Amino acid sequence: MTWNFDILPDFIFNGLSLGAIYGTVALALVLIFKATTLINFATGELAMLGAFLVYVLHMEQGLWLWLSMLIAMALSAGLGVLIERTLTRPFDPSDHLPVVLITLGLFLIINAVAGDIWNYQVRILSNPFGQFPSWVPSVGGDRFIMVFGSRLKYQSLGIWVTLAIALFLLGLILNRTKAGLAFRAVSSNVESARLVGVHTGRTLGFGWAIASAFGTLGAVLVAPQLGGVNPNMMATILIYALAGAALGGLDSLGGAVLGGILVGLIQAVAVTWVGVVVFGQLYMSILQLAAAFIVILIVLLFRPSGLFGTRRVERV
Amino acid sequence: MTSIAPQRFSRLGIFGVVLAMVGLAIIPFVTSTTGLRQASQIIISVLAVLGVNVATGYGGMISLGHGVFIGVGAFATGYYVDGLGLPWLLAIPLGAATAALSGALVGLPALRIKGIHLALVTLGLAIVFQPLSKRFPKFTGGVSGKNIKAEFVAPSWWPSDTRMATAVYRYLFCIVIVGLAMWATWNLVNSRFGRSMRAVRDNDTSAAVYGVDLISARLQTFAVSAGLAGLCGALQIVLVPFVSQEIYTPQQSLVIYATAVIGGLGTIWGSVLGVVARTVVGAVGKAAAGADGLGPIGEFFDLLDQPAFVFGVGLILLTFMFPRGLAGIKRPKRTTG
Repeated sequence: MTWNFDILPDFIFNGLSLGAIYGTVALALVLIFKATTLINFATGELAMLGAFLVYVLHMEQGLWLWLSMLIAMALSAGLGVLIERTLTRPFDPSDHLPVVLITLGLFLIINAVAGDIWNYQVRILSNPFGQFPSWVPSVGGDRFIMVFGSRLKYQSLGIWVTLAIALFLLGLILNRTKAGLAFRAVSSNVESARLVGVHTGRTLGFGWAIASAFGTLGAVLVAPQLGGVNPNMMATILIYALAGAALGGLDSLGGAVLGGILVGLIQAVAVTWVGVVVFGQLYMSILQLAAAFIVILIVLLFRPSGLFGTRRVERV
Repeated sequence: MTSIAPQRFSRLGIFGVVLAMVGLAIIPFVTSTTGLRQASQIIISVLAVLGVNVATGYGGMISLGHGVFIGVGAFATGYYVDGLGLPWLLAIPLGAATAALSGALVGLPALRIKGIHLALVTLGLAIVFQPLSKRFPKFTGGVSGKNIKAEFVAPSWWPSDTRMATAVYRYLFCIVIVGLAMWATWNLVNSRFGRSMRAVRDNDTSAAVYGVDLISARLQTFAVSAGLAGLCGALQIVLVPFVSQEIYTPQQSLVIYATAVIGGLGTIWGSVLGVVARTVVGAVGKAAAGADGLGPIGEFFDLLDQPAFVFGVGLILLTFMFPRGLAGIKRPKRTTG
């Protein structure tokens, strides 16, 4: 067994770009958890639906890819608001079980509807970052550049830049707008927020909207790595995102992104690279999933608040 | 059963039981071997739902991953009869026991992880199980599954060995096992152990103060719950001698959980009611899906052929209409802990 360090940067790049996607989906989970202490189990399915919207708009209707993405994100946001308003608001937010059931029901419904409309076969969705655009000097048209003797894909760069812009915008919305202020107030303390006149329901709907839009973004970015879109595409991504959210702390937005990136790195470096070096390719996929699962377990067992989350005091 | 027994038969309950028994007795005379097998499959699915009910309804631990234990039970039983050549009547309890053991292992994190976090862990387990089982083809047949060569046939004293007679034997066998399991679970939840289980569910700290060993109570609850699901898996291959990872999807686990909740958590009959409701709704959906010539409405009815869709809608509707499930028994406030 020789430890092949030449290929390590390859895995790091890969891990960082996958991790950024996990971070995006983890953000969608945390945005809802932070405000409602509710894990939206339908996050992945909503994101998948968003990716299919892009598929319809771009591949079938021929719209420009980025415009389709924006429209799909807006539509998912609208769907998020609709779900919050009609399905979760009637329930007492302090009682988890009914709302968990609602999101599980949504999981089943969205998956079945998507399966009914688009079948369960993988459909190709164009990669927003397939190759460097032709106006980039010297590498225009290439799929990657060489860094540290390894291939740094345009796709990875694109994902990082997209996520950075999305995070910047999210920061602006949360810190510089009234709705963002209301959201921070509600997630810090629902009762006090309500007492000072924040419309909590509308604010939660706002949280659902941003979360759904982020989920859609994540699903569109991950689609090329999965070979395309299909109704079951988000099941495994959801596990990695949950692992990232748990690792970062379920109520920390920055933690979710960092946790997602860490999970991507763990997956790529600790599992894939070691897997290739030690075992050969054979056990890669299952080791990756198992690693995500083990991260969830270890974090929840030994540090339920995650790396950056607020610790909860147990009431008896 | 003493006078303080928490659950007693009502008149309606007795009527329901009699009706169900008459129905079960009629089925073999009016259907084919295929119909009989499908009826048996519906009947054994009560076991898995009952398993969820024990963990969530009585133990207060959300499990979104009971499909995993069905899978473990099926794979293990298949291996015992085929790989080790054990007789079926030994392999079935062993398969259920294997599932119970795996349940106790899964229960270990549940000692510390509670509520929605446990839901997250068990859902993770449900998602990991399929790719994981592909890696152990010796037990699972890998990606495409495998046939179990040993078939479950009627013993020599059974009057006939035609296909129909075998199907009837399997059908009755399943009914007896499910009946026994329900009776055992009934006794268990109304025993000393059942009371400590519910005490842990309602308030674990006060349960511990009253002398309940939290660790063993939680582990045993999870083991019993997984054992019931494993028994369902074992009976699955009694009916169809084939195992494959393909059917143990996360969606299936969610459907089982949904059925338990729809029926009503914390009551044995709730599990049966849940399965009945699921079957009726599924049949209606199938019939509606078959209706042609309705244009776009017909397209919608096609969706009703998808069990997952029907259960998803049912889950949401029932959460709105009957927050306490069909059985209507008051659900404790702290089910999620």
